[in-house]
Amino acid sequence: MRYYVDGEDRPATEPQGTPQLPPWGETRVVGKPLSRVDGYERVSGTAMYTLDVALPDMLHAAIVRCPHAHARVTKVDTSRAEKMPGVRAVLTGTTPGADLPWYFGEQGPTSKLFDPHCRYAGEEVAAVAAETPHQARDAAQAVVVEYEVLPFVVDPDAALKPDAPKVHEGGNRLGDPRVTQRGDVQAGFAQADMVVEGSYRTPCELHTTMETFVSVTRWEGDRLTVWESTQGVYATREGLARTLGLPLSSVRVICPYMGGGFGSKFEVGKYTVIAALLARMTARPVKAALSREESFLSEGNRPANLITLRAGAKKDGTLTALQGSFTGVVGAYPSGGTAAFQVLALYRCPNVRVEESDLYLNAGKARAFRAPGFPQCNWALEQLMDDLAQKLGMDPVDLRLKNLTTVLQMWGNPPFTSTGLGECLTRGAEAFGWQAARARPRGAGPVVRGVGMAAGMWGYPGEPRSTVIVKLYPDFSVNLNMGASDIGTGTKTVMAMVVAEELGVPLARIQIEHADTGTTQYAPVSGGSQTVLVNAPAVRAAAADVKGQLLEIAAGEMNCSAGDLVLADGKVARADSTGEPKPVTDLRGLQERQVLVGVGRRHPHPQGKVGLPFAAQFAEVEVNRRTGEIRVIRLVAAHDSGRVMNLKTYENQVFGGMTMGIGFGLTEQRLLDPQTGKMANANWHDYKIPTAKDVPLEQTCVPVDPHDTECNTTGAKGLGEPATIPTAAAIANAVYHATGVRVTEAPITPMSMLELLAVPKGGE
Amino acid sequence: MTRRRGSKGDGKGLSRRDFLGSVGASTVGAALTVAAPPLTAAEPAPQQEGLTPVALRINGRAERVLVEPRWTLLDVLRERLGLTGTKDGCERGECGACTVLIDGTARYACLVLAVEAEGREITTVEGLMNGEALGPVQAAFVEADGFQCGFCTPGQVMAAEGLLRKQPHPSLEEIREGMSGNLCRCGSYRHIFEAVRRAAEARG
Amino acid sequence: MLPTFTYVRPKTVAEALEQGAAEGAALHAGGTDLLGCLRDRVFQAGKIVSLSGLSELRGIAATREGGLRIGALTTLAEIAEHATIQERYPALAQGAASAASPQLRSQGTLGGNLCQRPRCWYFRGDFHCLRKGGGRCYAVAGQNQFHCILGGMGCYIVHPSDTAPALIALGAQVRIVSRGSSRLLALESFFVPPAQTVRRENVLRPGELVSEVRLPPAPAGMRSRYRKVRARGSWDFALAGVAVAAVLAEGKVQQVRVVLSGVAPIPWRATEAEAALVGKPLDADAIGRAAAASVAGAQPLSHNGYKIHLVRGIVAETLEALV
Repeated sequence: MRYYVDGEDRPATEPQGTPQLPPWGETRVVGKPLSRVDGYERVSGTAMYTLDVALPDMLHAAIVRCPHAHARVTKVDTSRAEKMPGVRAVLTGTTPGADLPWYFGEQGPTSKLFDPHCRYAGEEVAAVAAETPHQARDAAQAVVVEYEVLPFVVDPDAALKPDAPKVHEGGNRLGDPRVTQRGDVQAGFAQADMVVEGSYRTPCELHTTMETFVSVTRWEGDRLTVWESTQGVYATREGLARTLGLPLSSVRVICPYMGGGFGSKFEVGKYTVIAALLARMTARPVKAALSREESFLSEGNRPANLITLRAGAKKDGTLTALQGSFTGVVGAYPSGGTAAFQVLALYRCPNVRVEESDLYLNAGKARAFRAPGFPQCNWALEQLMDDLAQKLGMDPVDLRLKNLTTVLQMWGNPPFTSTGLGECLTRGAEAFGWQAARARPRGAGPVVRGVGMAAGMWGYPGEPRSTVIVKLYPDFSVNLNMGASDIGTGTKTVMAMVVAEELGVPLARIQIEHADTGTTQYAPVSGGSQTVLVNAPAVRAAAADVKGQLLEIAAGEMNCSAGDLVLADGKVARADSTGEPKPVTDLRGLQERQVLVGVGRRHPHPQGKVGLPFAAQFAEVEVNRRTGEIRVIRLVAAHDSGRVMNLKTYENQVFGGMTMGIGFGLTEQRLLDPQTGKMANANWHDYKIPTAKDVPLEQTCVPVDPHDTECNTTGAKGLGEPATIPTAAAIANAVYHATGVRVTEAPITPMSMLELLAVPKGGE
Repeated sequence: MTRRRGSKGDGKGLSRRDFLGSVGASTVGAALTVAAPPLTAAEPAPQQEGLTPVALRINGRAERVLVEPRWTLLDVLRERLGLTGTKDGCERGECGACTVLIDGTARYACLVLAVEAEGREITTVEGLMNGEALGPVQAAFVEADGFQCGFCTPGQVMAAEGLLRKQPHPSLEEIREGMSGNLCRCGSYRHIFEAVRRAAEARG
Repeated sequence: MLPTFTYVRPKTVAEALEQGAAEGAALHAGGTDLLGCLRDRVFQAGKIVSLSGLSELRGIAATREGGLRIGALTTLAEIAEHATIQERYPALAQGAASAASPQLRSQGTLGGNLCQRPRCWYFRGDFHCLRKGGGRCYAVAGQNQFHCILGGMGCYIVHPSDTAPALIALGAQVRIVSRGSSRLLALESFFVPPAQTVRRENVLRPGELVSEVRLPPAPAGMRSRYRKVRARGSWDFALAGVAVAAVLAEGKVQQVRVVLSGVAPIPWRATEAEAALVGKPLDADAIGRAAAASVAGAQPLSHNGYKIHLVRGIVAETLEALV
């Protein structure tokens, strides 16, 4: 399996084997719609996010950024800034210790912390630390930087031309295209009764998390403690330790609450290292918090994609060939820009060829963003399938049902441990009233309605590496100690429910320690839709370990063997119901030890099989043909993400993913000024994310649970990313159904809708 | 970490420069060396000049603070008074994370100068609590799972409180309209509407 | 972060005018636009003159003539929720209700809404553009999807106000007070097109302020509406909007005003559209002609041609809704 993080592919090295715990049958706690265990903290304002951290003696950092799309720094004059009120330190590329490599490509580092060669507007040039945030900003503005402005390129089509300004010495393409193929596409197209093709474009999209990017760093001698708004304290620790040349044991990263990541917070940001260096220089803690406007420039994005796709099928809808070329516009430094996975894997097709390549641009570098590459690919693939269905005279749902597969058609063709895609399609269609809605007249007047759908899947089975500790206290309350972050998906709640399921301890008696590298154990980043499927089995194993130890102790005190005993309702009893159940708190062995420590590790992935989630989403839209306004009237999402761990948080996640899909499909795009290369819409009004009035009141979630007993010991698969993968394409297909206009370039705005509607249609 | 009240240190107090000076310039790894000694401030005590006293009423308490005219109510709440429940999302009135009530009306604290907030009744999310217990709007948000990462949540709760004080029984459409000044990037809108509906019921 | 400034809060209008006349002074009404401009360094303001102490600038009251007087510090929320305005001047209530977000409407004032600076992202951004005293307009060859199709000359902003078109359609006047005098002028004359100068959007001089807006009595049978189209359902300024106020009698249009927002540097009276309606029944024919006439003379830039279709669409739709 490959999954890219920060431009690096992670190869599959995880061992394969069989897990030990039997699958759950009927569960008592897991699956229920329980309120979050930390809801109190979030709604009361007591939850401490990194932005809220205030340490005694703390300084504030502000960063000086290059205003040009492409320039060389020729002089940095900090003399005025140094004398300004409250300034305690100034950091530039020539400050000792600040000459650090950054942005790694396949051949090693391609840049530095403060690179005198700036390749996008917003790139970091220097930083100051001062007593207050205002003083820091004032001083940053007083740093005078001289630049030699260079020719830039911010248009992807222009960047592809041979005479384009070069972002890097080797030209604007990152190496040769990556080709993945199977079968013989030429033969496949020759066999087809119908061939369709299309060209599609998706915009650059920004994460715009509610809490921007922020770090608080504090040294104690040679040990560094960092509060960081991160999705993975262990990833941040590893990155910081590597960058600063410290042992892992000298870096502690803490993040109990974080205000959104969506992939933007897997890795160490420059602002964190800047804060650490300033803290070192001043011997005081330093907080570096990016402003909203800054957050749009330098902390990653979903790269624009230029996609051409071609599909061939028989009259009955059976796919015979799929071919595509994908260009990801990754920005100024190496990164992964595309993911053709769904073309290769979503539908059964013997002949497939995809080419993927990445393009540099003088703009902020791409970064993982909720299902990296997948919504872009889905936008193209699912509109092409919709087109194919129409030309074949087939219902779009039937076309998908015709081409289902139970096997991953690459990497040795492992079968899926489960695939509920067929059920997602049929049950989703039923919940939506698909047949009736498709048959309904669109409307004869200026306002028309239409319905569309899209299927999708996510391609990362997770990094099966997590160690969890569960501690049982003598009063039968519990401590759950895990490294995983809860980025808003309800991780803490779900994991507590797993403990409750295994031990019968109520949620109110579970204490959770998490997301602190100083006091917990390794978990991978909370991202890639892997958090539940990676950590829940480890939690289960740790709780089972505690239970095992408890039953051993009880066996000794009840004169039997542990295998004869069961734990229920806080008591140990004989499985054959003979004798008196003994309250756990009465066990002498537990009271003597005062704690039982259970350790659980995530078991390996199943041998020769792969667990991946699937989805089908359905949308109804209303289009005002006179004004171009598009309103999403209702959405239905049918998801196979394995076992539903908590129905409340599951639904919220699905609705949230669809909301983000509305942004991708209808409202969001980064716009760069062609004359200067600077971002034109660098504020939260002009970069438009969906508001409460842009989402339908009617949103329905249909969970499809295939009762997968092989993917892992909890039966759960990923949810966060599948929730957003097919939404935009479903909306685009609905717009087509309503208007007869296929919009191949996202987002579909009233502006683009009007222009497309104004184009006279031939042959109608 | 506990909720903080009261002014935080103004940069004075124990200086750790002395400690590090005595420990010595230890080099940790090749990449990091101790840099030049920290800059000395050439200016007078930085906090006292250009400051205006302002009397604020926050959650029923009188607070007297010295502010620069350019400090917003949000700056004062978070940086001076330790009331970090109110969040900072954009400082431009474009997201709603900083929503507070001013004389019972939902407003963006980031667009209110502290000096303009004098004489008004300001309520923050901390002010909706009943001691340590959640107020009814807050409880409704928990029940309806009206949040994910939670960063927009105090602002949403305050907007809901402001809406319900004006319109105690809003329709779903009115709820959506009333909450349209608060972004949620996690996309919890559907659950937020449900939370407000439940809160309206709970308030009677 | 905001730059440093001093702050005064005068107790009388006279004092406010005095303070406001100083070099580098800026008036603070609701502050929703002012703070944004200061944050973006659109202009320098060393002294903020708060109007919040001036109660005579607040309030909505009937005028002797049977119209309405709205104090400049009245918030958009107060206007949107005012029963008389909703009943007699619905275009104004709808315009106010369609602006911004609920929290901003509770803070933003009518005076501020009329006097707000343009939203052009070059004007607001780190570009030394024509309107800020620089040498060029970046919109012409740049990202101009939100710029004007009418009335542009050298500068191609659109006026962002939703209340101004409604007020002009309703025949409003604005009172400007300066030291020692005050004058009342038609709101239409308040706004300054780039053909006159690109350095200001309205006629206000330092040392002056808008004190009130006056609406004439609503003629019997007058209907009005404001329709705004935007990319998102909240916060967004208009891609285009139209305010229509018409008096129909005996099945025909006696008087009508059609004023566009989001298409020109000033609220734009679509006089050709009006001419196509006066004396005619408000039927599909007249509406179609009015819609086409509303974009007469439009000169789109490279990315905003859609506004031509959009304006035609909303003019037609809004006229239909009046029937």
